[in-house]
Amino acid sequence: MTDPPATPALSVRNLHKSFGPLEVLRGISLDIAQGAVVTLIGASGSGKSTFLRCLNHLEQPTSGEIYVDGVPITDDIAGLRARLGMVFQQFNLWPHMTVLGNVIEAPLRVKRMPRPEAVALGRRFLAKVNLLDKQDEYPARLSGGQQQRVAIARALAMEPKVMLFDEATSSLDPELTNEVLAVMRDLARDGTTMVVVTHEMAFAREVSDRVVFLHMGQVEEDGPPAQVFGAPVSPRCRQFLSSVRA
Amino acid sequence: MFARLGQSLDPALFWDYRATLLAGLVVNIGIFVASAMLASVLAVAIGVARTSRNRLLRGVSTLYAELFRNTPEYVLLVWAYYVLPLILSRMLAHKLAIGPVPAAILALGFAYSGFMAETVRAGLLAVPRGHREAALALGISHFDILRRIVFPQALRRMLPDALNQYVSLFKATSIVSLISVEDIMYQVSMINVEEMRPLPLYTGAALLYCAIIIVASQTIQALTRNWHRRGWA
Ligand SMILES: Nc1ncnc2c1ncn2[C@@H]1O[C@H](COP(=O)(O)OP(=O)(O)OP(=O)(O)O)[C@@H](O)[C@H]1O
Ligand SMILES: [Mg+2]
Repeated sequence: MTDPPATPALSVRNLHKSFGPLEVLRGISLDIAQGAVVTLIGASGSGKSTFLRCLNHLEQPTSGEIYVDGVPITDDIAGLRARLGMVFQQFNLWPHMTVLGNVIEAPLRVKRMPRPEAVALGRRFLAKVNLLDKQDEYPARLSGGQQQRVAIARALAMEPKVMLFDEATSSLDPELTNEVLAVMRDLARDGTTMVVVTHEMAFAREVSDRVVFLHMGQVEEDGPPAQVFGAPVSPRCRQFLSSVRA
Repeated sequence: MFARLGQSLDPALFWDYRATLLAGLVVNIGIFVASAMLASVLAVAIGVARTSRNRLLRGVSTLYAELFRNTPEYVLLVWAYYVLPLILSRMLAHKLAIGPVPAAILALGFAYSGFMAETVRAGLLAVPRGHREAALALGISHFDILRRIVFPQALRRMLPDALNQYVSLFKATSIVSLISVEDIMYQVSMINVEEMRPLPLYTGAALLYCAIIIVASQTIQALTRNWHRRGWA
């Protein structure tokens, strides 16, 4: 490789977050390379969701810096959010809008895109998640897996630098989980930069370039999946992995 | 006995005075529409303030809602007609009167804004937080979130309750004759002075009120059913 080192898609420096007296994130620093797929694992309550939510300021970090594409986040929170796509465990589709309406809302309101252009864009991303035929349905008429794929298309339609997934398959039945994981796999293959919180260890092992194990708000283990799953350095990580495998 | 009752109910009497009665009814409907609009606008503002994160805003709006919910409409009506002009005259240092119709609109509008603010608040709180967060995460502004995501959903949840409030408000317009607004009840009383036939006149007024409300609320319910069918209510 002769290329100069690229700017990370996302840089986090010494991120702290407390809820009152409870310190949930205790100094997290991560660089996420362009196109990398990073899975975040850890026990319940270790701060995975809080970390993702701090990245796009759904929670205000107590201290620390966040850079998207090398640009520090100052006070343009909406601008930051527009550059980070987020997919939630509860799909959070807006029930009064059609599938296409959900997908084009942010391009229309945030980017002030003309409607025909937004519709074309929305249809492109619906096609990507294999739901173009459902564009005029209301979310209530879709299965959970379909709803989550719409939510993914909705986030993609802002063409974010990084996609954040917070347990995107945890509220789905096993047979619906796969269709969502398949979409996420496609995105990874297309070079989308992704931070994925998941309990799907098989997915983490197979798809990610890097696995980060969080323990009590700190990065306890960080490496390629083969190393983290095969020979974790941290005893806590080893213990966590054996508990989820059991 | 029933024959005599039927005779004294005499719908023909109502028919003879239809022009006058209709003029009165138009006044009621006008006051209803104006005060319903006033109440709705105030209720949205107060309802949003009631769910605000700002404590002062929340406190003031709660006080407002409690004040108007717990004061009888009749008292507000009299107050708006007799007391408000006095206060305003003193404040502006020149004499000012408020006509009976504007006073009625103000009194009923403010009275019902208290009730309706509660409906708005409940509707807003019923929208899951995740819907807002998903919009925030996309970079959508607070104003657009309220306008595009929260209100349309809250509105549908509020509708049955709001409908009841509007029905009550329409019924409440029957008290405006007490400050000499020339509404339907006023006209009925005037005709009664001439004809001395309270039974057909007041019964007719009651049936008329009842019929209007039933027709209006059935129409609105049919509309909501249509929304439900489309899957987004
Ligand atoms: N808004 C909040 N107020 C107070 N405490 C909170 C809040 N959000 C999260 N916490 C606390 O922060 C800690 C970390 O929560 P978080 O949801 O980030 O964990 P997680 O790793 O995502 O867990 P899970 O696997 O169960 O989703 C928990 O102890 C939680 O109770
Ligand atoms: Mg979580």
